[in-house]
Amino acid sequence: MSSTTAILTSDDHRSDESHLLSYPRFLKRILYLATEGSFGFYAWMTALTAVTLVGANAWANQVAGGMIGTNMTDHVSWGLYIANFTFCVGLAAGGVMMVIPAYLYDDEDMHKVVIVGETVAIAAIVMCTLSVIVDLGRPDRFWHMIPGLGEFNWPMSMLTWDVIVLNGYLLINLHVVGYLLYMRYLGRKPDPKWYIPFVFLSIFWAISIHTVTAFLYCGLGGRPFWNTALLAPRFLASAFVSGPAFIILVMRVMRLTTGYTAPVGPARTLIQIIRVAMVVNLVMLASEIFTLFYTGGGHASAANYLFFGAHGHNGLVPWIWSAIALNLLGTFLFFLPSAMERSTVRIVACLCCIVGIWIEKGMGLIIPGFIPSTLHEIVEYTPSLIEWKVTLGIWAFGMLILTVLIKLVTSVFTGQVSSKEPTAMS
Amino acid sequence: MTTTNDPPAKGQDGRDRSLPVIANPSRRTAVKGAFATLGAAAFVAAVSPLRQAAQRSSAAEFMQSHYKRLTDEEKRQVIERLEAEAKENHGVEVEIADDRPIPGTKFVYAINLSVCNGNGKCVEACHKENNHDRSTGQSYIRVLEMPKGTMDMEQGNTTYSGVVPKDDKFYLPVQCQQCDEPPCVDVCPVKATWKEEDGIVVVDYNWCIGCRYCEAACPYHARRFNWKQAEIPAEEINPDQSYLSNRIRPVGVVEKCTYCLHRTRRGKLPACLEACPTGARVFGNILDPDSNIRWILENKRVYILKEELGTKPAFFYYFD
Amino acid sequence: MTRISSLLSAGVVCTAALMVVVCWDGTSPRDNQRRERDAVAQSISTEPSAAPAQASSETERKSKAPSEPGRHAVVVRRPAGPPLIELAATDPQGRSGQVACSTCHSVRRPNLANRTSDSLDEFHQGLTFNHGTLACYACHNPEQSDALRLADGSAVEYRDVMTLCSQCHAAQATAFRHGAHGGMNGHWDLSRGPQTKNNCIDCHDPHEPSYPKMIVGFKPRDRFLKDETKHDDHE
Repeated sequence: MSSTTAILTSDDHRSDESHLLSYPRFLKRILYLATEGSFGFYAWMTALTAVTLVGANAWANQVAGGMIGTNMTDHVSWGLYIANFTFCVGLAAGGVMMVIPAYLYDDEDMHKVVIVGETVAIAAIVMCTLSVIVDLGRPDRFWHMIPGLGEFNWPMSMLTWDVIVLNGYLLINLHVVGYLLYMRYLGRKPDPKWYIPFVFLSIFWAISIHTVTAFLYCGLGGRPFWNTALLAPRFLASAFVSGPAFIILVMRVMRLTTGYTAPVGPARTLIQIIRVAMVVNLVMLASEIFTLFYTGGGHASAANYLFFGAHGHNGLVPWIWSAIALNLLGTFLFFLPSAMERSTVRIVACLCCIVGIWIEKGMGLIIPGFIPSTLHEIVEYTPSLIEWKVTLGIWAFGMLILTVLIKLVTSVFTGQVSSKEPTAMS
Repeated sequence: MTTTNDPPAKGQDGRDRSLPVIANPSRRTAVKGAFATLGAAAFVAAVSPLRQAAQRSSAAEFMQSHYKRLTDEEKRQVIERLEAEAKENHGVEVEIADDRPIPGTKFVYAINLSVCNGNGKCVEACHKENNHDRSTGQSYIRVLEMPKGTMDMEQGNTTYSGVVPKDDKFYLPVQCQQCDEPPCVDVCPVKATWKEEDGIVVVDYNWCIGCRYCEAACPYHARRFNWKQAEIPAEEINPDQSYLSNRIRPVGVVEKCTYCLHRTRRGKLPACLEACPTGARVFGNILDPDSNIRWILENKRVYILKEELGTKPAFFYYFD
Repeated sequence: MTRISSLLSAGVVCTAALMVVVCWDGTSPRDNQRRERDAVAQSISTEPSAAPAQASSETERKSKAPSEPGRHAVVVRRPAGPPLIELAATDPQGRSGQVACSTCHSVRRPNLANRTSDSLDEFHQGLTFNHGTLACYACHNPEQSDALRLADGSAVEYRDVMTLCSQCHAAQATAFRHGAHGGMNGHWDLSRGPQTKNNCIDCHDPHEPSYPKMIVGFKPRDRFLKDETKHDDHE
């Protein structure tokens, strides 16, 4: 690692130096910083790495032995991976709920922390991509999807749209985060023309990633449980709960570990958003349930299985009712006045809603889309150990990236690293 | 591959935590480097099972282009390689042809629901003809036992057994309907599946990435995934194969009924039809006005499965 | 204004031209098709008279004359000839024997009243009969015991049993003719190879014609996460 030199000699930086030289140096320095920390930090990173490695190993075994190692079948052909993918897309899209107040409503306090939302989005998109890759039967043929090299079935396949919007969102956020940090590092004021258009683009893009992801499912006429126009709005509403809730958690962890204390305003704004979004989400869920059950018939069979079990099978019943209980509890807690303070209630509420929505969107939505099957056979699904390991590995890797990014953000924003003066750590 | 970007350093580096960075940068860097190496080594160890998977597929297979892009010469080489692989991995001499559609042909299938008695011979014939994995007992056909008086598959049952037909039941075999508006083709992100001129929806098993979006999209449960490498005793392997049809499929890809194109494109009847002891199955070219299939469509009462989905199946159910 | 009107008239002319083209395209192939079909109908209608003449020359199978050169035949299986009756008793050497119907029936008077095997006291006992309200001699020929009997009293060879069945089961016979009954083997494309079809009594026992019950053998086990012995499908 030659970055030490960069740190030691950073004061020789001249403001008119080419970005071609100073940007790599900036990257080097922040990368060095990202691997600096307390004992607790190292323990956390070691733990995450260990879990990531367990996941990587499980995935390698899955590739070597065939996907028979998962508990998916021809009847339930998508499982935990795609369920987790759906949730992570929501997490990524949820970051936009900081961007909108900050840029559309010029919320000054939110402006200060909006970059947290963007880093969460980056980590979430990485998790999305990994969740799809581990779901592939032939990851070695991933290049078949690269336009020009392979065959890219765009615009017919919704999956190709998803590839485009997810990668686009990743690039936009990488650019915005990278640019803002770099300018801070240089001690310059960011030039709006270099990031404001991208920020506005990212607002629309965030909506699009989750809409397109919903279209993946709701465009399938053969799956009545998914084939509803409410799916995309529901996805968005739940994303605007899980995303902000996750960001609140991240900001709490930042305050406790890095000493970087965000103003109280942003979290309050986020909670206001969560309150509205969660109620909208629950209303849409209720209206979906009403339509299914009041009409009855074949369209309700998946919902019947999900909520009450069917023909003696009830594998998803505990999942969905826990999701509903957690969502209701979380919503109730968010409406308590103490949720507006830096309280435990807020944290519990966030956790409830995150877990609740994770189940609601995954085990409560993706899986029952396959049960009963298109020929109305009931084949149940519970994730196998390999699937759990891989999914946990993906989460650990996502958290690893998030930790590194958050560390960069705080060190730049607290002025620990800058091109102007020699670094003074600790 | 996707997790190689691990942050370089990790470890319970307790001794260093109180030291300022500036104090001993070279030592700190050395420790970081050591942990990075350790991490990288651990990662390599973790993904080592991939080596085993990599041995299974050759570089030629990895580089192979999309079926429609292959020149005749490339196709010949690919087929040669596949035949050699069958010899090596399964110990059989197989002959893989590249059967193309017969001009002026559009294949259509019909099943007489008044006659079908659910005996399952078609399911078995498909299993054998198409070189399906023996342990999972795969087949492209499923037969539903339905109570008389309904067409609601919710009331059907595929795991019936014993003596058939039961007095209060009728039987509904379902396989790929070779739709004219196939949702599975629309959703494939890499165009690994397409509809050919004679109406058959095929899969390039060497191009499919195994995302299984088509399985989710198909309303007829027509698609199957190779969850494991097919295991078939050498003497049971059907050596009469075609590239887009019944050749032994690689693991991790999707497959489906092809109306036995390795037979039907050579003028023969599909295996499931020949196996049917009740004569319920009829197959033919709908473009031929004198074909059996045309007579049925013009003279019998015809039912189309899930017609409301707009998939326009090339598969019909009729009644006496 | 003039520009608009000229545009309009140009549009009308184009539409008219298009309609002419569409009509032309639409009618001509259909006409051709109809002509072809009529020709085929004719060839089919001439077949029945040709078939019996040919039949005598063949031993086992009757074959529809290929309707055009280069086309393979549709071969309908036929019984080898009149049935032979297994003798219940064995000769002193322990051999059983087969006899033709006429062996006994040439010397016995036909009992036209017989409807079931129950009223038989000597031969054919235990024969299951479940074919509507037919009497034995509705189909068997009292005068010519090695042949069958059509409804008009004329004799028909055992090998032409389908002619007999078709008297009542005309709908099935029609469906059979069009491949919609009875199944087939071989080629769908007769320009590439022949096709074989069953005859009525290959699948239906004439004395008890309802199709027999079967036992389901093979079942896919592709719900491989399940305990296979447990039949947990809903119903």
